[in-house]
Amino acid sequence: MLGVGASGPVHADPPAPVSALPGARPTLEERDAWAVLAGVRGLGPVGFGLLLRRYGSGAAILREASSPGGARRLVEPEEASQGPAEPAEGVSQAIADGIARAADGAALTIGRIRSLGLAVVTVEDPLYPIRLTQIEMPPHLIYVLGSPGAMHAEAVIAIVGTRRPTDAGRAIAARLAANLAAVGASVVSGLAIGIDGAAHAATLQAGGTTVAVIGSGHAKLHPRVHGRLADAVVASGGAVISELGPDVEPSRGTFPRRNRVISGLADATVVIEAPARSGALITASWALEQGRECYLVPGAIDAPASAGCLAFLREFPDRARIVAGIPQLIDDLGLADHLTQPGVTSDVAATLTGVGEVAGRIGREIAVGRATVDELVASTGWPVATVLAALTILERAGLTVGAHGRFRAAGALAAADPDKSRQRPRTIV
Amino acid sequence: MLAIIPSATLHGLIGRFIQVEVDVAPGLPGFTVVGLPDTALQEARERVRGALRNSGFVHPPRRITVNLAPADLRKAGASLDLAMALGILLGSEQIQAGPDPVAFIGELSLGGEVGSVPGILPMVAALSRRGIRRVVVAATAVDEARLVEGLMVIGVDTLGEAVNVARARPRRHPGSRPPRIELMRSTLPAATLETDRSGSDGPGVPDLSEVRGQLEARRGLEIALAGGHGLLLIGPPGSGKTLLARTIPRLLPPLGDSAALAATVVASAAGEGPIQELRRHPPFRSPHHTLSYAAMVGGGPRLSPGEVTLAHEGVLFLDELPEFGHDVLEALRQPLEEGRIAISRAGHATIFPARFQLVAAMNPCPCGFAGSTDRPCRCGPSLPERYQRRISGPLRDRIDLWLAMPRVGPAALITGPEPEDSSTVAGRIAVARSVALGRPSGSLNGRLRGRRLRDACALRSNGERHVVGLAELEAATGRGTERLLWVARTIADLAGSAFVTEDHLDEAARYRPSDSRVAAMEAV
Ligand SMILES: [Zn+2]
Repeated sequence: MLGVGASGPVHADPPAPVSALPGARPTLEERDAWAVLAGVRGLGPVGFGLLLRRYGSGAAILREASSPGGARRLVEPEEASQGPAEPAEGVSQAIADGIARAADGAALTIGRIRSLGLAVVTVEDPLYPIRLTQIEMPPHLIYVLGSPGAMHAEAVIAIVGTRRPTDAGRAIAARLAANLAAVGASVVSGLAIGIDGAAHAATLQAGGTTVAVIGSGHAKLHPRVHGRLADAVVASGGAVISELGPDVEPSRGTFPRRNRVISGLADATVVIEAPARSGALITASWALEQGRECYLVPGAIDAPASAGCLAFLREFPDRARIVAGIPQLIDDLGLADHLTQPGVTSDVAATLTGVGEVAGRIGREIAVGRATVDELVASTGWPVATVLAALTILERAGLTVGAHGRFRAAGALAAADPDKSRQRPRTIV
Repeated sequence: MLAIIPSATLHGLIGRFIQVEVDVAPGLPGFTVVGLPDTALQEARERVRGALRNSGFVHPPRRITVNLAPADLRKAGASLDLAMALGILLGSEQIQAGPDPVAFIGELSLGGEVGSVPGILPMVAALSRRGIRRVVVAATAVDEARLVEGLMVIGVDTLGEAVNVARARPRRHPGSRPPRIELMRSTLPAATLETDRSGSDGPGVPDLSEVRGQLEARRGLEIALAGGHGLLLIGPPGSGKTLLARTIPRLLPPLGDSAALAATVVASAAGEGPIQELRRHPPFRSPHHTLSYAAMVGGGPRLSPGEVTLAHEGVLFLDELPEFGHDVLEALRQPLEEGRIAISRAGHATIFPARFQLVAAMNPCPCGFAGSTDRPCRCGPSLPERYQRRISGPLRDRIDLWLAMPRVGPAALITGPEPEDSSTVAGRIAVARSVALGRPSGSLNGRLRGRRLRDACALRSNGERHVVGLAELEAATGRGTERLLWVARTIADLAGSAFVTEDHLDEAARYRPSDSRVAAMEAV
């Protein structure tokens, strides 16, 4: 009922035949060979593992494929010396031909990857995130733009949710991300519109590192409006990663498959808002399947944006956990004593000190949820011209954004807690 | 014998003096029209024949030849019917001409009634320029013809009445009023001109007090009309954008003399009769989005003005902007840049005036509900931005104010402050426009360019830096900076400020293209 059937953990794929070999770091040649082989249509983990065992390395597979008669030998069954239980078959002719073609075009493929500035990290590589090796069917290589170290932080938390959040949902995502940044955790998400984007942006705003797992190749970034956000993720020491070759278009199947990487990279996954059948619930299911913690923000029982979260909590009462508040979640995640920079997030008034009195007042009104010019004029009693000019000042300061005639807090103002003055927080909020 | 009757035809917006020469000679009965008549004009023969018979005259069974001079000018329309009929009556000596020449303009029905034709005003003006002092037109066109100074205008309902005029001694026609305007003069004291406000005060024009909430859009509309800026209203169905646009006719000040004359000539040529006064109210055209290319630019066999010309000196309102045909919107390029449109027909181009203020409205996305809180948008997350990017090229450059109109909640509809009415806002607009027109450039802010724009803004050095900073909010093009300055200048005019200040610039930045804001919104 949660929509995690065909593409989710209900029908888990067979175990990965490729295992992480500890120690030896693969050579550049070997990593390139894996990247070339990753582009062969139809060559899945099983076939790749089979060839790898037979030839010893990706580079050797490519050498065989490009030698005279090599494609035919890839198809031939192995010598029967390896034991009776082994399936002693090669790959299909079509795949073998594909490998031969890939071998011919290897220079182009590698050139393309280099020109995009992508690093190829194979499952044999020490840079490969250790958490990801522990899931079933880890991608045998990932393409990384930026710093792979961002995936190795001591704490890595995934924040996911709907593409169409409420303003409140967005604000929770932003405040959680800012708090995670303050305790030194890396924030993983999917670079989508909505909760994902809010989580990435707030992490950057708070000076943290964040990892975006995309459901397409790096050259086919989707959605395009997030190009600048992706650049900012990389520029601030984070990474944009994909298990798909740089020119693979996003499609219906790529996003659910990507979701297992999001949960697999993280110690815990937090779902902020998810309507029924939201893709974020697939990520939550993967987290449980992978033995990771999964937290969901509950909502009103008649709120469509929270229907999926509530259904999931009901479906997995023993394993799915509830978010009772941001300080409580930080505590539940065991991160409460990781606080390194007290006061990284602040209250609304402190955030607005640089913009002057008039814009500051408008900023406070927006922080408490007044969204339209009509509402701002009504609550301040100021002329519309004054309100409009103040909105520009706030926007240039990165504290609000607006579209379709509605405005909401952004940046530090989104991460600031409007209730701070009224609560005695347990942690940093 | 040969009879010569002065008349006129309409070519686009221009009246042309035509001499109708009728020769009625012995020979095989026949009726020939020469001198480049178009096919429609050939049908005049049937109307003239019927009108003569049914008015108690004889259509002479002789060889009738009508020559329309000058011969090199293609003639169209029915304006020459009456002159041809009179020519036949004189040429066949059924009547005798009076001592003074009289011109005739009018269409005949088969029954002998005289009807008006489009373009009476420019045609009578052409006769005046040729020294004609008496003209006969349909009774319904008398007021329009009398807008031209220096002629005696006589209205007739039938061919019989026209014949009486032709053979009568000239005398002042009962009920004729003193002439009021000489067509070629461009400035007259306004007090001497009567003003027709019917179009702006008619029941179809809503008052601004009917628009509740939407303070940003109301403000943007006021700025747009004060500065002559292109305006785009973006909002979901039910946000009131069409209602807001339809208040425009009551918000604009009356046209000055030359603009009023130009607008009246266009209305006349378009056959928007009856015209009784100079059109003092700026035209407000709101064609439907199924409008054809030809109907937008004008043309056709009779060179009719299109919507861009009908909106000359006024407002062209395009509701559901992205639904208009691509070629129809593309056709706006020349008028928006040059204030006129060239129509080529049969090898040569005719230029029509087409200087209008563009006002448009659209939904934020194909389903209409992007950004709405009460109904979900069914389009993909990036679709609204792409939808708004459809507004491209010349249109994009000519829209200085982009206004988002969220739906007003029911609470605001009931409890919001009492909205200002149209006459209050119109007063501020009129003052700001007169301030702009009083500057050395003498034009509305939306038409200022380059040096004159900078001079008009009178920015201090910190203002210059502020402009640079604000332009970065938009992917800064030269046009983005100009747009900012134009709008800020108008905001300062509305505030009664000689200088453009940072506050004015900050407000002006709110009206930049909304797709840049959509992208920013989605990026967090
Ligand atoms: Zn939509």
